[in-house]
Amino acid sequence: MFEKSKSYRIFFWISFILIGLFVLFPLYWMINTALKPITEVLTPDIWPKHPTLVNFMEVFQNKEILLYFKNSFIVSIVTSILSTFVAAYAAYSFSKYRYKGRISFMLLILVSKMFPYAVLLLSIYVMMQTLGMQDSYAALVVSYITFALPVAVWTLKTYFDEIPDALVEAAKIDGASNFGIIHKIIFPLAIPGLISTAIYSFVWSWNDILYSLTLITSAEKRTLASGLIMTYIGEGNDNWAGMMAASVVVSIPVAIIFIAVQRFFVQGLTAGAVKG
Amino acid sequence: MNKDSRINRRLSDSQFGVILILPALAVFLSVILYPFLKSITLSFTNLSLLSPKTSYVGFANFMELFHNPYLYEYIKNTIVFVAGTTLIPFVLGFIWAIVLNHGFKGSEFLKGITLVNWIIPSTAIGFLWIWIFQGNYGFVNYILKMLGVIKNDISWLGRVDTAMIAVIIAKSWQTLPWFMAYLIGGLNMVPKEQIEAARIDGANNLMVFRHVIWSNMRMIISFLLILGAIGNLQHFDILWVMTQGGPIRSTTTLSVAVYRTAFQEWNIGMAATIGVIWVVMISLFAVFYLRHILREDLK
Repeated sequence: MFEKSKSYRIFFWISFILIGLFVLFPLYWMINTALKPITEVLTPDIWPKHPTLVNFMEVFQNKEILLYFKNSFIVSIVTSILSTFVAAYAAYSFSKYRYKGRISFMLLILVSKMFPYAVLLLSIYVMMQTLGMQDSYAALVVSYITFALPVAVWTLKTYFDEIPDALVEAAKIDGASNFGIIHKIIFPLAIPGLISTAIYSFVWSWNDILYSLTLITSAEKRTLASGLIMTYIGEGNDNWAGMMAASVVVSIPVAIIFIAVQRFFVQGLTAGAVKG
Repeated sequence: MNKDSRINRRLSDSQFGVILILPALAVFLSVILYPFLKSITLSFTNLSLLSPKTSYVGFANFMELFHNPYLYEYIKNTIVFVAGTTLIPFVLGFIWAIVLNHGFKGSEFLKGITLVNWIIPSTAIGFLWIWIFQGNYGFVNYILKMLGVIKNDISWLGRVDTAMIAVIIAKSWQTLPWFMAYLIGGLNMVPKEQIEAARIDGANNLMVFRHVIWSNMRMIISFLLILGAIGNLQHFDILWVMTQGGPIRSTTTLSVAVYRTAFQEWNIGMAATIGVIWVVMISLFAVFYLRHILREDLK
């Protein structure tokens, strides 16, 4: 793409080193600090002299954090499964059926991604209070499904668009039922899309702070991302190594899932192009 | 009626299509559309979670808000935050995309690692950058002192003139991979023949970048900038973790202002009013985005 002239090489190496440090160093610093014993935490040492797992042990011995962890898993997995199904049916409908109001609804879903979540929260908060759903997993799951929907629907639609109509018609002639076609023919063909949608929803719910901070009022139901704020942000906190260990812990599930299925995820992202 | 036309009639039956969108429609109407409209109407009430009585107050909230000097601070903070967190990661992400697009050994691995920054929770990112910007033992102060840029430690998050810089850098760090991923995709879509043709005409690297790469990527770039700006306009998480809008409102954007007014002062009516102003700002960007989508996808 570029000629490897001398000035280009200079540009390349300076960018590589400076941006590389900016991108990679902070995460390294998080892990580095988390591995330092209390005596070394405040030193700027690039490498822990006596690396220790004691900070991680402390995180895992904290009963509240373990509870948050469990809550996050429950909420994120349920959200992930439900939202993938809800989005897949809608996306398939948008892709293969024509009816009045289809385009309007598609656009509405797209626009909804731009409604500020904090503004929606005002009414959702009052609504959940009225319905007595405050402080429940359900309140979070319902909200997260809706917020994951726009990207999920548009991503999946591009997958379904690529499945030829003839395939669907042939199955119909063979006597397959409408749902049979979706579950036995369409979904298996769109597995990468379904996986990336499921991950997207999982990550969304795992990472959310705002809704978990407000809709959940008791420590027993709190999710990890918002729970850790309660644990570590406060007056006089200076447990930096503990904070970094907790940061590593809350990041690991999404990082692992992401690395395991990165191929699908990036593929799904680019298939959804810049629509989401 | 022969058998074929009966099958066709069944195929074109749109009722099943409508059934399929019902679940999506239901959650959408109840958790997005209804709350959205409801929040707008709340801006005309004095709903407070501290007092049981609510009544319509017309435009009183808006009048009060426009006379509140803090509003202009919030708007200014929002503009600074959005401009910084959109342009910085765009430029750095673009350069990083060009660097990694060379396909040297390990470049795939670096792309993957870079994306991790984007996928991990804002809580972790906020914690990390609080630590990096910490006033006495933070790494930023250490480096700046070592390089001789500053003599004394700076309490980055404790000062009104530096807190915004710190949160913009943290948020830029989170957003850079997102730009990078799409820009790598965009770079790969630039036709190789055009680059070669330009080279034959004697174009140097800068000219190739300006006239071939940039002009081919114009569409995706404007798309990314609009989407990035909308995302940053909505952003709450990192700001909340790092500064809670402080010190003294210096990092209070409209999102933080809505949250504080609603869930710390419990004044939902006023929070909704700030929210309306915020929605108007987002709409300015959303209009561009929608025009683009309508032109490109639904012709």
